[in-house]
Amino acid sequence: MDQSPAIRLVDLKKRFRLQHHPVTTLKAAAANFWKRRWEDLWALNGVTLDVGRGQTLAVIGRNGSGKSTLLGLLGRVYLPTSGLVEVNGRVAALLELGAGFHPDLTGEQNVLLNGVILGMREREVRGHLDPIIRYAELEHFRDAPLRSYSAGMIMRLGFSVAVFTDPEILLIDEVLAVGDEAFQRKCLKEIRRFQDSGRTIVFVSHDIDTVREVAGRVVWIHEGSVRADGATEQVLGEYLDFAAQQAAAEAQA
Amino acid sequence: MLGDLKELWNYRDLVKSLVVRDLTVRYKNSVLGFFWSLANPLVQVATITIIFKYVLAIGIPNYSAYVLCAFLPWMFFQLSLSDAGESVLRQYDLLRKVYFPREALTIASVIANLIHLALALGVFFIYLLALGVAVEPGWLLLPVCVLFNFFLVLGLAFFVSALSVFYEDMRYLVNVATNLFFYCCPIIYVSEQILFSSKIPAGLRERIWEVYHWNPMATFIEGYRQLLLPRFTGAGITDVPLDWRHIALAGVVSFVLMVAGYAFFNSRKWRFAERS
Repeated sequence: MDQSPAIRLVDLKKRFRLQHHPVTTLKAAAANFWKRRWEDLWALNGVTLDVGRGQTLAVIGRNGSGKSTLLGLLGRVYLPTSGLVEVNGRVAALLELGAGFHPDLTGEQNVLLNGVILGMREREVRGHLDPIIRYAELEHFRDAPLRSYSAGMIMRLGFSVAVFTDPEILLIDEVLAVGDEAFQRKCLKEIRRFQDSGRTIVFVSHDIDTVREVAGRVVWIHEGSVRADGATEQVLGEYLDFAAQQAAAEAQA
Repeated sequence: MLGDLKELWNYRDLVKSLVVRDLTVRYKNSVLGFFWSLANPLVQVATITIIFKYVLAIGIPNYSAYVLCAFLPWMFFQLSLSDAGESVLRQYDLLRKVYFPREALTIASVIANLIHLALALGVFFIYLLALGVAVEPGWLLLPVCVLFNFFLVLGLAFFVSALSVFYEDMRYLVNVATNLFFYCCPIIYVSEQILFSSKIPAGLRERIWEVYHWNPMATFIEGYRQLLLPRFTGAGITDVPLDWRHIALAGVVSFVLMVAGYAFFNSRKWRFAERS
């Protein structure tokens, strides 16, 4: 049995260049060639973290604290500026509503496309086509263009594809907040099943109830660094105290 | 670059699926869609033919065939570059959420246009047979011409798509540049007109002819014409067979541009998702 952690981060740093006057045209690039000004924004400033196999880790923090950057680095959307990202196992990101879907394609065609985008071979997706569509409860809409789907249906389809890519590590960025009550319950149930099979989940959420229900461990990211890391209730308690203090301070000012 | 190529190979199904998506969406699951996309070049060619035949009276028989033969690869060139600009940008939301080799988007959009060219050439063959043009063994060389034409377009598409992510006005530049480039290619004229022009001093003709062939697209278009159509004569111009030096130059330039374009794209692709 491989004892290495599912995810290992060592002194991970990520810098974004924040331009004062964003250059978005060639014209501006030529005009400002000699006076380009930017500010370094350290979205992550030295994060060291191990996530063991089978753990469910929730990442919390205020907006702009670096949570999504962390998830982006895990999903290889960004390269780290410095430090180490080691991910052992197949990763799948649960995509936002309809990302990677095309409105003119049918449900089935979209499943095929989305599956390969998530890194599956085409014949793997074909082999899972029926179960994916059945799981999303969209058998009747299989050949209908995605345009005719409701938001909840698109969500179901996307979730279903991600589940069937059979990842060892699942990354979830605030996706569970959408969808109706019944679908959220179904998602949570699926996440349970995922946890029970010993796989690793890293998710970002603002929803304290979801975190409480699902996570076995919580990491609180504050201004690009880990502020607290530990058992769910303990970290959530610290975080909520901090948030209350902030709110009180803002109310006074 | 070898690592990038290996990674791309692992995602070859993605390229295939993106091509299928592009074609399905463009042709909207119908055969009629293909004919609609042929309508534009056909209308242009009809207009050009009428103008040249009756207004400017160029005097080369079957001139429309020569124009159409050049127009099909030109459409490939132009549409590929304008699609390339959109190819990455259209998937920008996805790009910020999930990893996959970004070049798959650009490659797929060029391949979709390549398939379109192949279909259009197929229709062109039928047209030639209907005109009574004899089947020639030279037609077998056509895939080589198409392949190197593809290298050229892919290389340029890499530059265009990578720059389009960062600069919004890239598409205007591409638009202006391709419109200008249209006249640098022998489409509404034949390149031999340079050699037989009475307006160009005799001593300069050869030199201009050489410089003209630094443009690989010009050589390819001549290639398509010479492979597919009979030699033309008329209006005091005779067909000049392609020079091997020009063919070699076009091949090398196209291949180098493809490699350089890929390297440029790769040097930028990790910054796509970080754009401010």
